[in-house]
Amino acid sequence: MNIVELNLEKLRESPWNSNEMDNAMLHRLRTSIKKYGLLGNLVVRPVGNDCYEVLSGNHRLRVLKEMGVSPIQCVIVEMDDANAGLLAQALNHVHGEEDLGLRAATIRKVLASISPEEVLSVLPDTAIGLKSLTSLGKQSPEEYLTHWQQEQPARLKHLQFQLTSSQLEVVEAALNQLLPKAKTGQFNNPNPRSIALFLLCKAFIEKEG
Amino acid sequence: MSAGNVNGSIVPTQGARGGSKPTPALHCLAVKPIPPVIAKELIQRNHYLHSLPGGTMLCFGIFLGERLLGAVTLGAGPYQAYHLVGGAEREDCLVLTRLWLSDELPWNAESRVIGIITRLIRHHTDVKFLISYADPAAGHVGTIYQSAGWLYTGLSSVMALYDLGDGIARHSRSVAHDYGSHSIEYLGNRGVTVNLVAQSAKHRYIRFLDETWRCRLSVPILPYPKIEVVE
Repeated sequence: MNIVELNLEKLRESPWNSNEMDNAMLHRLRTSIKKYGLLGNLVVRPVGNDCYEVLSGNHRLRVLKEMGVSPIQCVIVEMDDANAGLLAQALNHVHGEEDLGLRAATIRKVLASISPEEVLSVLPDTAIGLKSLTSLGKQSPEEYLTHWQQEQPARLKHLQFQLTSSQLEVVEAALNQLLPKAKTGQFNNPNPRSIALFLLCKAFIEKEG
Repeated sequence: MSAGNVNGSIVPTQGARGGSKPTPALHCLAVKPIPPVIAKELIQRNHYLHSLPGGTMLCFGIFLGERLLGAVTLGAGPYQAYHLVGGAEREDCLVLTRLWLSDELPWNAESRVIGIITRLIRHHTDVKFLISYADPAAGHVGTIYQSAGWLYTGLSSVMALYDLGDGIARHSRSVAHDYGSHSIEYLGNRGVTVNLVAQSAKHRYIRFLDETWRCRLSVPILPYPKIEVVE
């Protein structure tokens, strides 16, 4: 394998690189490189005039340019456009699928020594996602089901109607008239419009006897 | 912390039913709750339908040590599925909506997992019965439900999917959500072309967690279908 150190000015991002990274992810990459250094070589190919096109590591190149790190260790490969495209696709897309249980166990071990803020500065997870992951397998099924059962009476029921615009106007007008009463009463339901509908139906039933 | 694993109280119960002795790998399996977002990722990645249905209420993961090798979800299921049992309310019923186990697990792991989940729900909730479906179009007849002693109630009636002229088969509920109705007449009167895409009926199984409810079943119990009849 041809591994050489190349100065930044000799390296070009590939214009056909389909792998895009938003600013938040670039920030994480920057944090990771600052924390651990550049641990993987860029893969490049010569394109003439003593310049090289990056096949793998375009985002790392961008970050390294910002940081002014030079020279950079690169693997040089010589190949035509078709093979360069295929290699770039393979490097981006050929990977395994994570076992989420093992990932959760790893993250728990990491969090035992490193703060969540620092972990989130390197990984693409959200704080909620990280919490969800680390809670994996921690709750007993008995506790989970008991809690779920206790929640059932508190769950409000759904009822949907489909109306034309003119029908909706009539219903809205009726509900709006009842809204003040719905907002002031004690009905054990936080949705005033639902209470207004209930009051409307109750009044109709009482009237019809 | 306890988990719904196959040691302790489960093994004697299985022995009493005359089932086979669990293999060492089955002994190590544990059923534990997992967040819906994790269940969704697993099901979308691995289940043959690649989707988690709306109305999912309970999500379990199947663990072998720290490895997560399966997911089971339960929820409301098809509209008014609970009407299969006379006098039942929605909260009396859960539908086993997705089940995926890694091929790394032994062949009988599915039955064990269903047995564990059934026992947990029976002991820790007020749910009266479970329903599940097996899709003949995917070559399934519900062997795992048969071996777990669920009752077979025949093929469920299914609504055709809606193709609105773009080649995409949608569930009638999606159409009703977008247009306010899935009435073909209503849609036709408003210039929406509907091509119905037939769906295969699914084998429907029911398991009573409260046996006193069994007499309320509103459909006959039928002999189990055999896998040979599936083409």
